[in-house]
Amino acid sequence: MIKFDGVHKWYGKLHVLNDISLDVASGEVVVICGPSGSGKSTLIRCINRLEKFQKGELYVDDMPLHDYSTNLTKLRAEIGFVFQQFHLYPHMTALQNVTLAPMHVRKLSRKDAEAVGRQKLVRVGLEDKADAYPTQLSGGQQQRVAIARGLAMSPKIMLFDEPTSALDPEMIGEVLDVMVKLAKEGMTMCVVTHEMGFARQVADRVIFMDDGQLIETGPPVQFFDNPQTKRAAQFISKILTH
Amino acid sequence: MMTFYFQRLVEIFPFFLKGLWMTVVVAASGLIFGTICGFILGILRSGKNKLVTRMIGVYVAVIRGTPFVVQIFIVFFIFPEWGIQLEALPAAILALSILGTAFICEIVAGGVKAVSTGQWEAAASSGLTRIQQLRLVIIPQAMQTILPPLVGQYVLLIKDSSVVSVIGVVELTRVGWVTVVRIPEGLMVFSLVGFLYFVISYPLIRLSNYLEERMAVQETKL
Repeated sequence: MIKFDGVHKWYGKLHVLNDISLDVASGEVVVICGPSGSGKSTLIRCINRLEKFQKGELYVDDMPLHDYSTNLTKLRAEIGFVFQQFHLYPHMTALQNVTLAPMHVRKLSRKDAEAVGRQKLVRVGLEDKADAYPTQLSGGQQQRVAIARGLAMSPKIMLFDEPTSALDPEMIGEVLDVMVKLAKEGMTMCVVTHEMGFARQVADRVIFMDDGQLIETGPPVQFFDNPQTKRAAQFISKILTH
Repeated sequence: MMTFYFQRLVEIFPFFLKGLWMTVVVAASGLIFGTICGFILGILRSGKNKLVTRMIGVYVAVIRGTPFVVQIFIVFFIFPEWGIQLEALPAAILALSILGTAFICEIVAGGVKAVSTGQWEAAASSGLTRIQQLRLVIIPQAMQTILPPLVGQYVLLIKDSSVVSVIGVVELTRVGWVTVVRIPEGLMVFSLVGFLYFVISYPLIRLSNYLEERMAVQETKL
């Protein structure tokens, strides 16, 4: 589904992605972790080309992203992206947020789009908030609407960039619950997060990044209990004591 | 003598209304063209293409840095030398549109830039095209920032339209000039001229203030 092959990216002299090779199969749930500045966000932002890269090959859903003639809107319609800061459209209600892309990208009628939208809001447990504006919602609720917005396009892949990092602790659970449900339903997911509980529960693989490199990859039990590299071990001890 | 002049002024009041109408025609045309072109240039100016933003920047700097009366003279007297021959009225409308575009462009660019990049990214991620991102997500949010100064700018442009009297467009200010020759009571004549400008400007000033207050209220809600 996603195939990185020797991907490099530089910001000026800074080598933010260094020779990334990675395969994500359909239905797989991959958790990416690592210290801040390790390039993990950049990595998943490459998957829907919010970031360009200079070298290497990347195929997503068989579309070559290293080829700049690839139709980006077509690609992005198939990939849901959930941001750390939610980025809901503040001038629209929850339902309007969710139905915007189905109406204008998928060209559904308003009625059909709203049917899909309400169904997705039910799925994240917010059917009663359909007419609320983002400012009237808590952080956890906003993030769940953002997930529903992604799901409304029936994407093949869902990407999560630190989806719980901007939330108060008591709201993290409600967002993770939605994500766990999604993972169990077989969605292909790449999740940048430090939520180890989530990783242990549903990840097929954990990927550890540092300095733009892919340092270690393995099943969550092995990664957390018996890390193979010193840097991963240091990192895990830090987030455990945190 | 005063009352005599006042009576004369009342008699020729329809002439003032004609002038007012011409002011409205010049200003409204300039505002409409200026708004359309200002939005297009403003959106381009907020974009990433360096060459385009610089070129628009030069245009804006030149227009903002030179007196309007000079710009009108160039359009009316110099453009014909380059083969663009315009009557006084179209020349006035063109000059006011060029002026309005420059100011409105800056207001629009500021409003678009004030929308966070996260909004662009969210809209792009869901598969919207660049035009859809602008139309559905960015511009509606930018309008909050754009609207109050835009309406304020309209007031300035309406008043600036008085300058087109120098090339002989018989609008409100020109009517004042012509009248004062026959009724040598300058204060009376130009008070009337000023009052008529005020009549069209004041509702817009109130509107601008209202929009600004409404925006402040919305901001406290966020």
